[in-house]
Amino acid sequence: MKKMGLDRRSFISFLAGGTGGILFTPVVWKLLDDASIWSQNWPWIPRLSYGALDRKSALCKLGPDAYGVEVLTVGGRPVTAYGNEKDPASKGGVCPLGAASVQLLYSPARVKSPMKKDGASMVPISWDEGLSILKDKIKVAGDKVAMISGDETGTAAEVLAALVAGLGSDQYFLMPSEAGPAVRAWQNVFGGDGQPGYDFENSDCILVLGADICQAWGPGVGKSCMDAKATGGSLLYAGPVENGTAAVADEWIPCMPGTEAILALGVANALIQAGRSADTMGMSEFSDFVRKGFSPAQVEAKTGVQAAKIKDLSERLLRAKKPVVVIGSEIGQGLSTFEAAAGMSLNFLLGRINQEGGVRIVPWAEPVFEGAPRRDAMLAKDLVAFLEGVAVGRNEAPAVMLVHEANPAYALPGGQSMANSLRKAGFLVSFSSFMDETAAMADLILPASYSFEGFDDSYTPYGSAKGTYLATAPVIGPVNDTKTAGDIILAVADELGLGLGLESFEEVLQARAENLGADWSGLLEDGEAWTSERTAFQFFLSMWKVPFDADLGKKGADGQLVLAPVVKLNIGSAKMATPPFNVLTISERELQGQDCFVAMNKATAAMIGVDQGSMVKIASQSGEMKGRVQIFEGVVPGAVSACLGFGHTAWDDFSRGKGTNACDVLLVQGLDSQGGASFGNPQITVSRA
Amino acid sequence: MQAHTFHIKWGMVIDIDKCTGCGACMVACQAENNVAPVTEASNKLRTLSWMLVYQLSNKQDFPNHDVAYLPRPCMQCGHPSCSTVCPVVATTKDEEGGIVSQVYPRCIGCRYCMAACPYHARYFNWHDPVWPEGLDKVLTPFTSVRPRGVVEKCTFCHHRWMAAKEKARHEGHDPSHLAEDAYIPACVDICPTGAMHFGDLLNPEHEVHKLSKSPYAFRLLEKLGTDPQVYYYSKREWVRRQGDNYLKHEKTKGE
Ligand code: SF4
Ligand code: SF4
Repeated sequence: MKKMGLDRRSFISFLAGGTGGILFTPVVWKLLDDASIWSQNWPWIPRLSYGALDRKSALCKLGPDAYGVEVLTVGGRPVTAYGNEKDPASKGGVCPLGAASVQLLYSPARVKSPMKKDGASMVPISWDEGLSILKDKIKVAGDKVAMISGDETGTAAEVLAALVAGLGSDQYFLMPSEAGPAVRAWQNVFGGDGQPGYDFENSDCILVLGADICQAWGPGVGKSCMDAKATGGSLLYAGPVENGTAAVADEWIPCMPGTEAILALGVANALIQAGRSADTMGMSEFSDFVRKGFSPAQVEAKTGVQAAKIKDLSERLLRAKKPVVVIGSEIGQGLSTFEAAAGMSLNFLLGRINQEGGVRIVPWAEPVFEGAPRRDAMLAKDLVAFLEGVAVGRNEAPAVMLVHEANPAYALPGGQSMANSLRKAGFLVSFSSFMDETAAMADLILPASYSFEGFDDSYTPYGSAKGTYLATAPVIGPVNDTKTAGDIILAVADELGLGLGLESFEEVLQARAENLGADWSGLLEDGEAWTSERTAFQFFLSMWKVPFDADLGKKGADGQLVLAPVVKLNIGSAKMATPPFNVLTISERELQGQDCFVAMNKATAAMIGVDQGSMVKIASQSGEMKGRVQIFEGVVPGAVSACLGFGHTAWDDFSRGKGTNACDVLLVQGLDSQGGASFGNPQITVSRA
Repeated sequence: MQAHTFHIKWGMVIDIDKCTGCGACMVACQAENNVAPVTEASNKLRTLSWMLVYQLSNKQDFPNHDVAYLPRPCMQCGHPSCSTVCPVVATTKDEEGGIVSQVYPRCIGCRYCMAACPYHARYFNWHDPVWPEGLDKVLTPFTSVRPRGVVEKCTFCHHRWMAAKEKARHEGHDPSHLAEDAYIPACVDICPTGAMHFGDLLNPEHEVHKLSKSPYAFRLLEKLGTDPQVYYYSKREWVRRQGDNYLKHEKTKGE
C-alpha cells in the first residue's frame, strides 16, 4: 500500500516538476521539451545542458573579507555558488558578491590574454613576451619596485611581497581596509601582538561604532550577531546613516559622520567615572586625557549624541556579562590608528581582551618564504600615505609598480589624484583578472586566473575570532589565457634568478598548510577549514603607549556639511564592480538610468534648498561627484550620504557609466604619527547641478 | 473554486528584524532559476525579480526614523488570485505542498494573472532573454529558459523539492515527511544573516510551524483572504502594521 502511494506521489512529482517549469531529471526535461517545441522553442533561446551534479569548495574574495563557498558543478561545468557550512567564517552564508561569483568566470570584463600598451590602446601579446618585458623592466628598476595587493588574507600577496623584498624593496602595500588601522592600534598603541577578532556570537552586548558589520563584513559576521541576538544579547549601532547593521540592530544611535571615536572616548570617560580601569601602565594618563577632552558635554557637542545616551551606553556595557565593542569605518577603510585605538580602549576598560564573547587576538601565520614580510609588517605600511607622498614629492615614485587583485585607480580616496600618483610610476603592471580602471591604464597586463580557476587560500580574515585557514583547488581550468597570480610571480622571480625555492603556487600553499599544521588533503577535498582556538600571547600590554592624537576630537558638528559615504556589497567593492547578476539588486533609490542618488534628510535638504530628485554637485577639496537627491530620514542632519561603487569607467556595460564615483570626494584628512592616513568624511559643498 | 486540502504546506517565515537588505537572496534566485542578467534595471516593472527586496520606512522624521527590509517571493497563496483568472490553466494550485505552478509552454502571455496578483510577484518577458557571450555556460539544469511573451514567478525552487524527495527515497526515508532543512529554496539557503526560515507549515517538527504561530508573525494583505504561505516576523509594531491596511484606531496583529 505504502509503496503504491509512493509511486503515485512520485508520478505526481514528475508532472509537477514539469508544471513548475523546473526540471530536475533529464527525463522530465525531455518530456516538457517535446511538449513545448511547437510553441516556444526558438533557436535563439539557450537550451539547458545536463550532467552529474557535484559541489567543489572555492573561495570568495570579492568583498573586503574572504570566505568559503561551494560551487555547484553540472557535468564539471560550474553553474552557481552556495554556502560552505564548514567554514566558520561564513557559517554557510554568502554575500551578494559571492552569490554572483560563478557567473564572473564569463564576465564580459575578463582580460582574455596578456596585453601591453601600444600608444593609446592595449594589444594582446604572448605570455613569453609579457614575462620577458616584466623581467627587463624589473632588472633596470632594481630595488625601485613596489607592489599593491588587495588580497589581504591570501598567500599570493606574500609571494609577491617575497619578490619585492628579494629585490631589496620594502614597498609592499595592501589596499586600505579595517585591518590596517586595527592592527597598528593593537601593536603600536597597546603594545600587543596578533590580529584582533571579535567573538560576536558569544557576546551579550555588541556595541558597533561606524562599521556596517552585518552587511559589509562578510556573511558570518551578520549570522553571529543574529545568533547573539537570538540568545538574548543586544546589538547597538552608532553611525551617521541607518545602514544594514542599523536595520537589524536593537537601536540606532545617530552620530555625526566620523565622530564614532569621539563617542568611544566619551563612553570610556563614563566607564572610568563608574570606576573601571585597566591595570596597566599609562592608565592614569589615559584617564586624564579622556576626562579633559571627552566630557559628556564635549562629546555631545561634537557627535550629536546626547550626554544621557552616552551614560546609557556605558551602563549597558557595564551591566552586560560579555560585552564587546567594535569600531570601524562605514566604508571599511579610512580610519586612523587612533580612532581604531579609541574603540579598542573600551574593550580594555571592560576587561574583554582574550575573553569569550569579547575580543580575541589571533596569532599571525609565519611567512612561507624566508625574508618575506609577515602580514602585520605589510599592514603596518599605509598605501594612501605613500601615494599621497608621491603626489606631493615626499616619496619617490617607484620605477615599477605591480598591482595584484586591487583597483587603486578607482577605489582610493581622492580617486583622481591617487590615479595620478600611480601614473607617476615608471611602469605600471596589472595582474587583474578583469579590465578594471587600473588595468585599463597599465603598461602591461599579465592577467591572473580568477580564484575558481587556480589554487587559492585565505588565512584568518580580519575580525574572525578564531584562526582559520582555507585552501582550494581549481574548480575549472582557466577559461581564458590566464595563469594563477602566484605562478606568474614565481616565474618572474625565477627569470630574475631570485628563485624563491618553490616551483608552483600549489607547493607554496602546501608549505603554508604544513606550517600551520593543517591537513592539506582535508582542506582540498572536503572544503574543511582548519581552525585554531589559540590566542596570541601578549607580552606587555599598556594603555596608550604613544602620544595622544591632538586631532582626535577635532572632528564633528561645526555647521559644515559632511560626506557620509556608505558601501553596499551588492553594488560592488573596492576590487569588484557590479557583477552582471547584481544589477537587478540595485534599488530605484540608489540608481535611475545613469544617475546615482545621494541621501539626506528633509531638514538638510531644506537647508541646502534642494528637493527629492534635484541633481546636485557634491564637492570637497579633493574632487566632486554628481547625484540626485534622495530624501531619507535615516541620515543625520548636516550629512549627505553617498554610496561607493558607482561611476566606473572601465569594466563592462553592467557597471560602466552608471552614476559617479564617490571616492573622488573622499579626502585624505591627515597622516597620523603611526603612519596611517585617515579619510572618509570630508567637509563638502552641495550645489544644484 | 474549491481550494485543495494539502497535507504538506511549504512555507516561509521571513524575520524582517534580521534582514539587512543585502540582496544576496535576489542574486541567488536569479542564478538558480536562469533569469538572464540585464544591464539596466531602473524600471522595476520591466525587470524580472522573482525575489525582490523592498525597503520599508516607519515614515518618521529624523531622529525617530526606522528602516526595515522586506524580501518578497511569491506568496504561494492558499487562495491565489492569479490562477483563478488564467484562461488557459497555465498556473494552478493543485499539487501537494501548495506551491502555485507556472507552466511556461501553456502561458499565452495575456497577463491577467499579473493584474490579479496583489503582491506584484509575477513578471512578464517583454523581450527574449539575452546572455552575454559565454555567460550561458552558467545556466543551471533546473529551470528552462523562458522566451518572450511568457509570465514567470517564484516557485519556491520547486526542483529542490523534487531533489529532496529523490534523496529521501534513495536513503530510505519517507519523501512525504522530509526533515527540517532537507528542502529549502536557494534564497533561504544563501541568506548571510539567516533571516529566512523554510519548511512545512503543517509539520509541528518544523521551525516555521512554530514561528508562523507567533504573535509577531503576520502575512501581507491578510485581509484580502489570499491566505499566503509566506509569513513575516517582526517585533516592531510599525512593520507589522505596514503588512496590511489597518484602520487608524484598529489594533495591529501581535499587539
Ligand atoms: S539575503 Fe537575507 S539579509 Fe540579504 S536581503 Fe535577502 S533576506 Fe535580507
Ligand atoms: S503571490 Fe501572486 S503570483 Fe503568487 S500565488 Fe499569490 S496571487 Fe499568485
